[in-house]
Amino acid sequence: MRPYRANIKRRPAPRGDFSMTILKRYLPAAALLALALVAWWWIASLEAVDDLLVASPGEVLGAFGDDHELLLEQSWVTLQEVLLGLAIAVVAGVGAAVAMHLVSPLRDAAYPLLVASQAIPIFVLAPLFVLAFGFGIGPKLAMVALICFFPVTVAMLSGLDSVDRELLRLTRSLGASRLRVLRLVELPASLPQLFSGLRIAATVSVIGAVFGEVAGADAGLGRLIFLGNNQLQTPRVYAGVVILTVMAVGLFALVALLERLAVPWKRQGGTI
Amino acid sequence: MTRLARIALPTLVLTALALGVGACGEKKDDLAPESAEKFVLMLDFFPNADHAGIYAAQAKGYFEDVGLDVEIRQPPDPAAPIKQVAAGQVDLAISYEPEVLQARDRDVRIVSIGALVREPLTSIQSLPSADIKTPADLAGKTVGTAGIPYQSAYLQTVLDKARVNPDKVKERNVGFNLASSLLAKKVDATLGGFWNYEGVQLQQEGRDPQIIKIQDAGVPTYNELVFVANADALDREGGRLRAFLGAMSRGTLALERNPDTGIDALLKANKDLDPKLQRESVKVTLPLLLPAKGRPYGYQDPREWDAFVSWMRENRLVKTITTAESALTNDLLPGEGPGK
Repeated sequence: MRPYRANIKRRPAPRGDFSMTILKRYLPAAALLALALVAWWWIASLEAVDDLLVASPGEVLGAFGDDHELLLEQSWVTLQEVLLGLAIAVVAGVGAAVAMHLVSPLRDAAYPLLVASQAIPIFVLAPLFVLAFGFGIGPKLAMVALICFFPVTVAMLSGLDSVDRELLRLTRSLGASRLRVLRLVELPASLPQLFSGLRIAATVSVIGAVFGEVAGADAGLGRLIFLGNNQLQTPRVYAGVVILTVMAVGLFALVALLERLAVPWKRQGGTI
Repeated sequence: MTRLARIALPTLVLTALALGVGACGEKKDDLAPESAEKFVLMLDFFPNADHAGIYAAQAKGYFEDVGLDVEIRQPPDPAAPIKQVAAGQVDLAISYEPEVLQARDRDVRIVSIGALVREPLTSIQSLPSADIKTPADLAGKTVGTAGIPYQSAYLQTVLDKARVNPDKVKERNVGFNLASSLLAKKVDATLGGFWNYEGVQLQQEGRDPQIIKIQDAGVPTYNELVFVANADALDREGGRLRAFLGAMSRGTLALERNPDTGIDALLKANKDLDPKLQRESVKVTLPLLLPAKGRPYGYQDPREWDAFVSWMRENRLVKTITTAESALTNDLLPGEGPGK
């Protein structure tokens, strides 16, 4: 068994230092971002770089001002696709992982296919999804779900496998049924791994939505970026990309927040 | 908090979030039975000025007048329109004459029933600094293409007619990035951009592009955009297709009378389009949307089509077909054919 660590708590920072702590934590990220912005500005201002091809940060800010209504509208469409697709991926991924964990022939059969499926280029699938799910939100959800399904499933599976053998033996010897072991021991123990899979899924989900929208959509950021590119509206394209990155970071933070709620023992530094 | 709750809580939160979002943004399911006759049209690309006549007909209610509830869809990929119409997934699709002929060459059961844009839009575009005024100026230059075989053949024909040694011209596949590779000076010229779209765009951005239309440089003329139907559905669907083309004829005339009818409808349905670009593009495209003198709307010249097939055969782009006979019909055009 692992050593008992529940009493070792982090020393709370004195109240006066609170803003300093925040500053220390986010200063490197802010500095890097600032550096990247300066580099971007510099490249955009170069004589040799055509301003139709590279928009400066100022022009992108301008696009946020001029197109805010359009950007907001399209972002909302994409956000819906991302959240719904992600939810489908989580349900399907956790379900598939549990099924594969419980039924090992299923695992032997499905796992290699699961890995192989990741090599299929998305643009081959896009027309098939349209054929299967029509032209509404369906193919976009399928695309997001497909991209997010893999990290969720693989993480959940390895989480289920990582359970302390001693603990498993103990609960079994105490007469717990297979499902009870799953519910009381394996599922809680796999949560930290599941959440690391979810973090990856959250960040790549926006890519799925963009692919889905480029393959025929009436609205959405993916379409806006594709069409903007086609119309040489570079500032608008960059604005769309900025929103996508914010969306990905936001989803990542949301997953981290859910993890704090769901896996409090991890934060406290204890074991199950 | 019990362990179960720890697991259940985030799941619930996520599900609730998803459901909430889903409920707000519920889309109308197009599987629902329709009383009006649904007619699905798949475009060749994202909506743009080439489609202004379609939007004009829709805005004016000309489709409704003939009992058609037209739904406009965008293709998931460039090959989709012909595939989907051949599979019977859509009633009608917009594609390109060369693509139609290549599909017929592989015995895909489709047929072109009318021209939307009756001349080539494909062009060779360059910036003034490259100094390409005539095809002969291409010697020693790099030309970006989209990697489409028949467009590479256009380039060879253009060079051949201008007596330029093809070894002196470098072709580079730039995929979808025609305009950007030109602006970034990665290529001296591009072949594949439409003069009524990319050309107008560069003009509006003050880049003063030099444009050579391929039909002016030795490539036989063809219908850039055509309406493609399923050949096996022609007997059954003939009435509806005829009705559609009739409404298109009226829509195109309405567009001529007042271009704003089409442009406003196009822009309203697609808020991410650049209004300035689309307006100018409609203006320069309009003559090619309108029927040629003395011909019905949508007329496809069988002799032009045959000449194009000959050119394609010479360039080994088609193998089995020798004429365009099986690829087109004018019988469904307004005032044409046995069923008028």
